[in-house]
Amino acid sequence: MKDPKKWLAERATAPGTLGSGVRQADGKIFCHSADESCPAGRMEKILRQFDGMKLTLFKDTVPPRWSTWTFEQGQIWLVARADGWLFALAVRSESDALQSLDPLTREFLSLKTGK
Amino acid sequence: MAQVDTSVKDSEPQHRVLFVDDEPDFLQMLAEAFAPLSQDRWQMHHAGSAAAALEMLQQQKMDLVVVDVNMPQLDGIQFLKILNEQHPGLKKVTLTAFATEEKRTECLANGAELFIEKPKTTEGFKSVFVMLDGLISWLPRDDFQGVLRRVGLQDVIQMECLGRNSSVLEVYNDQVLGRIYIEDGNLIHAAAADLIGEPALQKLLALPGGSFELVPFESPGERTLNASWEMLLAAAVRVREAQAAGGTTVNAEGHAEATVAETLICSGKGEPVYEFQCADAQTRVRLLQNIAYHAEQLAQILPLGNFDRLEMQLANERIVAQSRPDRLVYVRVAGSPSAA
Repeated sequence: MKDPKKWLAERATAPGTLGSGVRQADGKIFCHSADESCPAGRMEKILRQFDGMKLTLFKDTVPPRWSTWTFEQGQIWLVARADGWLFALAVRSESDALQSLDPLTREFLSLKTGK
Repeated sequence: MAQVDTSVKDSEPQHRVLFVDDEPDFLQMLAEAFAPLSQDRWQMHHAGSAAAALEMLQQQKMDLVVVDVNMPQLDGIQFLKILNEQHPGLKKVTLTAFATEEKRTECLANGAELFIEKPKTTEGFKSVFVMLDGLISWLPRDDFQGVLRRVGLQDVIQMECLGRNSSVLEVYNDQVLGRIYIEDGNLIHAAAADLIGEPALQKLLALPGGSFELVPFESPGERTLNASWEMLLAAAVRVREAQAAGGTTVNAEGHAEATVAETLICSGKGEPVYEFQCADAQTRVRLLQNIAYHAEQLAQILPLGNFDRLEMQLANERIVAQSRPDRLVYVRVAGSPSAA
């Protein structure tokens, strides 16, 4: 993936998407806001929060391949690749964006990350 | 008329609850009992009469009104009728020291979401608080619609049992019609299609949608449920969670069958209510509490309402962890294939 930000802006766009982000294996983070309630900075904080969970929530176990945090009004979806890349997506409940989770995940997992 | 608790935390949404009762001593007891339980999440108001309550409602929006049934001049039932006309969207609960089946039916028919006996003990106040907090906090779950529209089917059963009520819940969707019988707070019988007893109860509680209606109790003529309601609901939750996690179906193509490998259901405080193959409940409770902590952190970054659950896919198993104020649930399904 040469330009993660471009990929996010082009692909994570289904109605109800709040924001998305990718954290590369080298720690660089790229985020895209799809709704004014979720500026890119918040997605970056969410990705960093997930990094922090490795030290606490998953300190005794292998972190999950994917996880879904479900709240009353939305979901935060996180997918981890074996090479260390992370993808996060925040969507509203009962929106079309929920249907995009699986295809986007498959796409993210199959993306080539070479430079 | 007085506001009991005005300490508002700017960052947290507060629920405005109005208690209407002509007994000032009881209002004071409610205020003292509920203030520490609500931890500033409730802004409590009280009124000594229906007229005073109506005046308050003109001035300030409330999220919930809790009404004493037996009040002089305008009683609770008459007051409910007025509230239905003037404030149709308002959640209403009736409290009474003299509960009868007739009064209960009348209150529910006039728009009360719950009919609760006035508590007399510390534990009783806690139970009532849990019911009211559940009603005020929870959005409709599942796709159920019923007489008690704002709470889920399981919540209604829990409330009926906690209140030691006798009632019948008629549950139906386009494929199934069933009945759940509660007598003096005990689940005694369930029937759905050709099933009776626990399988029927589990089938009804696992329905993905439909309607339910609370109707006056009538004897079912037989008793097919004998375990405590807590155990029965816990078992039903386990079945439902397993189904939600996709862990109960036999794979006709010969692939490895996913099975529920572990279940733990606890009270909101982490006291185990039901365990299934759970080797270390305390570790699981700590994990659930840790998840709740991280969910709170996430909610501070991106406000999406109350946290419901975390689903995780590991190499060959899936975990569903639910952390809510009233219960903690951990279900591990082994052999569950990755979704992506």
